[in-house]
Amino acid sequence: MPQIAVEQLSKVFKVPEREGGFIASMGSLFRRRYREVRAVADVSFGVEAGEIVGFLGPNGAGKTTTLKMLSGLLFPTGGKAEVLGHTPWKRESAYLRRISMLMGQRSQLQWDLPAMDSFQVHGAIYDIPKPQFQQTLDELIELLDISSVLKKQVRTLSLGERMKCEICVSLLHRPDVLFLDEPTIGVDIEMQARIRRFIGEYNARYGATIILTSHYMADVTALCKRIVVIDHGKLLFDGSLAELSTRMAPFKVIKIDLDRPVDDYAFAALGDVMSCDDQKVVLRVPRKAASTATAKLLNDLPILDLTIEDPPIEDVIARVFGTRESDSAGDGKASMAEATTRRVK
Amino acid sequence: MRRAIQLILLYARVSVQNFAAYRFDFFMRLFMSFVQLGAELVIVYTIFFNTKSLAGWRWQHMVVLVGVYRIVAGGIRIYIVPNMRAVLEDIREGTLDFVLLKPVNSQLLVSIREFVFWRFTDIVLGLSAAAYGAYKLSVHVTWVQVTTFAFMLAAAFAIIYALWLALATLGFWFIRVQNIEMVFWNVFEAGRYPVMIYPSWVQWSLTFLIPLAFITTFPAGMLTGDSATGVPLHAPLLAGGMAVVSLLASHWFWRYGLKHYSGASA
Amino acid sequence: MSGFPRAFAAMLRVNIANMIQYRAEILLWSVWGIVNPTVLYVMWASAAGGSDDGTVAGLDRNGVATYYFSIMIVGHVTAAWDVYEMSYLVRKGSLSPQLLRPILPIWNSITGNLAYKITTMMFVLPMWAVFFFIVRPHFSTQPWQFGLAAVALVLGAVLNYMMCYTVALIAFWATKLDAVGEIYFGLCMMLGGRVAPIAGLPPVVSELAAVLPFQWMFAFPAELLAGIVTTPQEAMAGLGMQAAWVALTIILFNVVWRAAIRRYSAVSG
Repeated sequence: MPQIAVEQLSKVFKVPEREGGFIASMGSLFRRRYREVRAVADVSFGVEAGEIVGFLGPNGAGKTTTLKMLSGLLFPTGGKAEVLGHTPWKRESAYLRRISMLMGQRSQLQWDLPAMDSFQVHGAIYDIPKPQFQQTLDELIELLDISSVLKKQVRTLSLGERMKCEICVSLLHRPDVLFLDEPTIGVDIEMQARIRRFIGEYNARYGATIILTSHYMADVTALCKRIVVIDHGKLLFDGSLAELSTRMAPFKVIKIDLDRPVDDYAFAALGDVMSCDDQKVVLRVPRKAASTATAKLLNDLPILDLTIEDPPIEDVIARVFGTRESDSAGDGKASMAEATTRRVK
Repeated sequence: MRRAIQLILLYARVSVQNFAAYRFDFFMRLFMSFVQLGAELVIVYTIFFNTKSLAGWRWQHMVVLVGVYRIVAGGIRIYIVPNMRAVLEDIREGTLDFVLLKPVNSQLLVSIREFVFWRFTDIVLGLSAAAYGAYKLSVHVTWVQVTTFAFMLAAAFAIIYALWLALATLGFWFIRVQNIEMVFWNVFEAGRYPVMIYPSWVQWSLTFLIPLAFITTFPAGMLTGDSATGVPLHAPLLAGGMAVVSLLASHWFWRYGLKHYSGASA
Repeated sequence: MSGFPRAFAAMLRVNIANMIQYRAEILLWSVWGIVNPTVLYVMWASAAGGSDDGTVAGLDRNGVATYYFSIMIVGHVTAAWDVYEMSYLVRKGSLSPQLLRPILPIWNSITGNLAYKITTMMFVLPMWAVFFFIVRPHFSTQPWQFGLAAVALVLGAVLNYMMCYTVALIAFWATKLDAVGEIYFGLCMMLGGRVAPIAGLPPVVSELAAVLPFQWMFAFPAELLAGIVTTPQEAMAGLGMQAAWVALTIILFNVVWRAAIRRYSAVSG
């Protein structure tokens, strides 16, 4: 039995339709029309104790909605979920004491008071025994390196410092399951790396199960062995990172250094030319054709150096969602994304 | 002057256009204006259920006063408070610099940027109540009464504007004065009833220190044209003088504050 | 200390610390609680002068002073403002973190309410004293009336708080609650005996006041304190009414809260 078991989970929101024009909007004052939005559609997955799972997907994909259902803030319109043996949306106190949800864009700290005050209140609300509280607090302060900011008013902290305090407060009751919604949003790159490192350490030390959503690919590649890709509320992929790139982007990237310039058409038959800078060429070839292409290149052209790589994970994801502008993606990007999506289904 | 009027119209037009986006607020506001006026009239009814006169004011006088209170409270919320709130925020956030960079008189510009159109409901309802009260007092309301009333109202708005400009100017020195709005409404509360009900020293203070009497009591009294209200006959003279003095003083204070601001932020 | 009392004490402490941060703001809030009854006192004292027998609602000038001094105290002790705050909390999403805690969010609001009253004591006590020494209200209240008035004050505060919070839950269905807040507050003023003593309300209004709970929040404790409620029977009957309304409101709160949470967890995106 996995620690988190989600079966056919769905959430449909009713959104009032807004119509243009004065008359139409007058009418909508009295009778509103609703449109149904499927934020999450039949999502199923399981998470074992101690796993770190990354949720990937563009804005509005349904990641946060899923996390909110798992933390008991939202009622699903269909399906089942069981976390730590509880149904989250029953909001039993015994359940709430064992989980934590960090919302990167919402603060649970008292804005005008030092963070330490919020920590104390948290300890009292979760009724954490004093010695345990002190011990956890000391550990977290050390791990997060926040001893110098505890006495400052939260509103005077930098975003990164505040985020570390937010993380600290949500971990004080040592939750067994942790939902992290955009934990590194808005903080600088160095702070992102530190927060990331901390999450990894926390998971290793306490064996907590963690589900993480993030816009930053680096968060996910660094922490999560397992990735769940969600788009338009549907689960597109569930597996390891390596698997993701094989399945989502069946390409290899071949980089070659040439002895002398060569005409473009010499490569065109082998794959897409992604860049061609005089004597440095980057090619994208279908995964299966990679070895024959390599042989042909080495045979036909004056090659100085040649490397074969997996495409960068950012590009893979960008291709999956067809949203991000990427300089290495050609015109066929959008249709490529569609094709990949179809394949996954 | 033409440029000023052009600017005022421009900003007003933008606000009215934006108003379309807040239709729901408009209906809500309209409804609440009715409720508020209704409640104030119920209070008048309650008062005169228990007594015949309030420091010489009978119920008809009081209905006029309720109307004037509503007109003034509405007018303050159409132009004065929203703009002064914006100035205080600009000072706090440092965005006042953008205003100062514009080749327009800064006092004019900070006074006309916001315009809360739908508060006109308060003015319309207030005028109706005042007119009804005056009509009930005497069927023949003279042109002299109406003209003096209009003049008194204009003076009242000038005084409130000057007062608010001075309060906003304080923001150059004290960053956290946005709470000043609470203080203002607290004091304004006292204008719901004729100043004649207060002991004489309070009455004097409400006339010359915090010129609340000029804002509600005197205009209402002038519209009734009834000496029983205790409003002195030379009130328009006093009001005109008070308006001119406070406008000049607040203008001077604003310029002084600006100098301080540019000096401090350099 | 552990369990609920520990959580309550911690929340109260941090809310007091928070109020102290906002002392300038809350000072201004409490000033309103002085200005409003003062203006009304002056108005009714003047009205008493204009009536045939020199009284209004059975009170002479001195009686009006005593009543409004009592209202001043009652108004402060029973103050509640959740109806203004809730829509802000819902819109800002600040309620979500509170809902993740294993304790009802209302407890945080209750401790906030108490924190305000405790913190503002240092401002309002001197202001009450100033009013007292200038106006010199005369109290003929007996010790037993003072004692029962204290109980009535607590019941009135609980009643207003619970009613205000329950009404505030409308915020879960409607995003703009300003109008609801204004109306609730208006009813407190008009039917609670704050704008005018209950005995001075004209026909229709007084009938409305009789069937609604507002007079039990403010007017009744104030009348006990001012010695207007003269017989123990009357006092006990009033306390009984208060208790009944409190019970009813708590039941109502529980029903509405459950519906509100269902609503919140159905739509909060």
